[in-house]
Amino acid sequence: MSSHREAPAISKDPVADNTDTYAFVSPDDPTTVTIIANYLPLEAPFGGPNFFEFGDDVSYEINVDNDGDGYSDVTYVFRFETRVANPDTFLYNTGQITSISDPNWNRKQFYSITRIVDGEERTLATGLPCPPCNVGPASTPNYAKLAAQAIRPIGGGRTVFAGQRLEGFYVDLGAIFDLGDLRPFEQFHVLGSMNKAGVNATANFSVHSIALKVPKSDLSRSGTTPADATKRDAVIGVWASASRQRSLVHEDEGDRVWAGDWVQVSRLGNPLVNEVIIPMGKKDLWNSLQPADDKQFLSYVQKPELAGLLPVLYPGVFKNLAKVKAPRADLVAILLTGLPAGIVPGFQNYTGPVYADELRLNMAIPPSKKPNALGILGGDLAGFPNGRRVFDDVVSVELRAVAGATYPLVDPGYKPDAAAGLLTDGLDETSTSYLTSFPYLGTPQGGYQTAPLALV
Amino acid sequence: MSELTRRNFVTKSAGAAAGVTALGTLLSAEAEAKPRRAHRKAGGASRRGSGPVVAFVRDPDRGEVSVMRGERRVTIRDRKLAAALSRAAAGR
Repeated sequence: MSSHREAPAISKDPVADNTDTYAFVSPDDPTTVTIIANYLPLEAPFGGPNFFEFGDDVSYEINVDNDGDGYSDVTYVFRFETRVANPDTFLYNTGQITSISDPNWNRKQFYSITRIVDGEERTLATGLPCPPCNVGPASTPNYAKLAAQAIRPIGGGRTVFAGQRLEGFYVDLGAIFDLGDLRPFEQFHVLGSMNKAGVNATANFSVHSIALKVPKSDLSRSGTTPADATKRDAVIGVWASASRQRSLVHEDEGDRVWAGDWVQVSRLGNPLVNEVIIPMGKKDLWNSLQPADDKQFLSYVQKPELAGLLPVLYPGVFKNLAKVKAPRADLVAILLTGLPAGIVPGFQNYTGPVYADELRLNMAIPPSKKPNALGILGGDLAGFPNGRRVFDDVVSVELRAVAGATYPLVDPGYKPDAAAGLLTDGLDETSTSYLTSFPYLGTPQGGYQTAPLALV
Repeated sequence: MSELTRRNFVTKSAGAAAGVTALGTLLSAEAEAKPRRAHRKAGGASRRGSGPVVAFVRDPDRGEVSVMRGERRVTIRDRKLAAALSRAAAGR
């Protein structure tokens, strides 16, 4: 998945596990940028009685690099606090929850936001409420309206939401991790079978989202609103992270004591990088580092393992890809430096020579009136890899890029294999649902209304 | 002050003293040090520098002791302290 359970250590620590990061110019408020950081992969909606929540012992961070050095210049830190009204019941709610402050909700969460600019901290808000999880019609009737109460303006043109959302990332996990057996192309797979439609493995699952909408001037190096897409000041690099304190002591009687400085345990800029680019033996290391440290992973981007596997898994289909021996400068640009001017007409999101996995957004590119989920590959400059919108088909984009569809950007003489521009796991943005306004990710399914997984 | 620089500073300080005296000096030094910006995280003031103390000795032979309290960590090089903690952990 984009970054769900993508590394051995973090797969065992879901509350700190970054799953997806989004950054885009807000389509209904284009003077602002919305950044969404998702955590807690694969929440089954019926997962009670202890429904999903953020970790009180985790520091959640949204990071913005606006000078291209691979370090965060503007950081928003989110810290959560759980308050239990009645510890003598096992119930999440003792009756219907009809408002976000309803006393029937027994286990509420609140959070604070601190903004750090060049090392200087300022608390933006405290005591902000999260919504409950969507339990079902008896417990959380009219859930969409209930959750909307957690959308809070916090001054300075900023708006925030933190809580459960419907998973917006769609992917056929079952096929991809079964030896790359993409269902729409099964007749070409080495273990050939009948072609089939893709299956969205994340359908109806939820995540926990931190969504932040801020004026562009909150993020740019100059502190102004960038209007010229050719200027360096228009481009930011975004990633999310989670940190835990260095030590944990399990005491008798169930108490736990955390102590020490904060250690990063998860991060996520571009989708699927730690998932399918970084080798297993270095995934935990990668999660602990800053983007500024990513030069050591350059070779895995220049020669991605998947590019070598495709010609083997699909014999005779990727003949041209199999002949590519040069480092993949196209993938390096897309993932580690941004695209310089002159590669894609009218576009650049280059942050400089530092190799850093960041989601690079040119904030001066306006939202598309007719969005294409394939983003720049589909001729839509407002989509991935110019930031990432909630509905962008990043699986298809990255499959096609790795398969050679973007290699002509750096080698005009290269002719991609016919399949490279067609690769997909068979899913698109209609595989799940979204909101047209903040926080853009859809309303999570209720536990009562959701059936367990079915065989295909 | 970078982690490496702070560690060097701590190591030099520890060389002049031992045990609790050195540790007290080092905790003060760490409090004045500016954390690396990339690792700077926010938290309520009440969460910092209070509560139980945790000591971690990765390799007693190296003599490095990490001491953690609240949101702070200090690493010192003190062979006597590391040896004492190691003996205590072994029940001797």
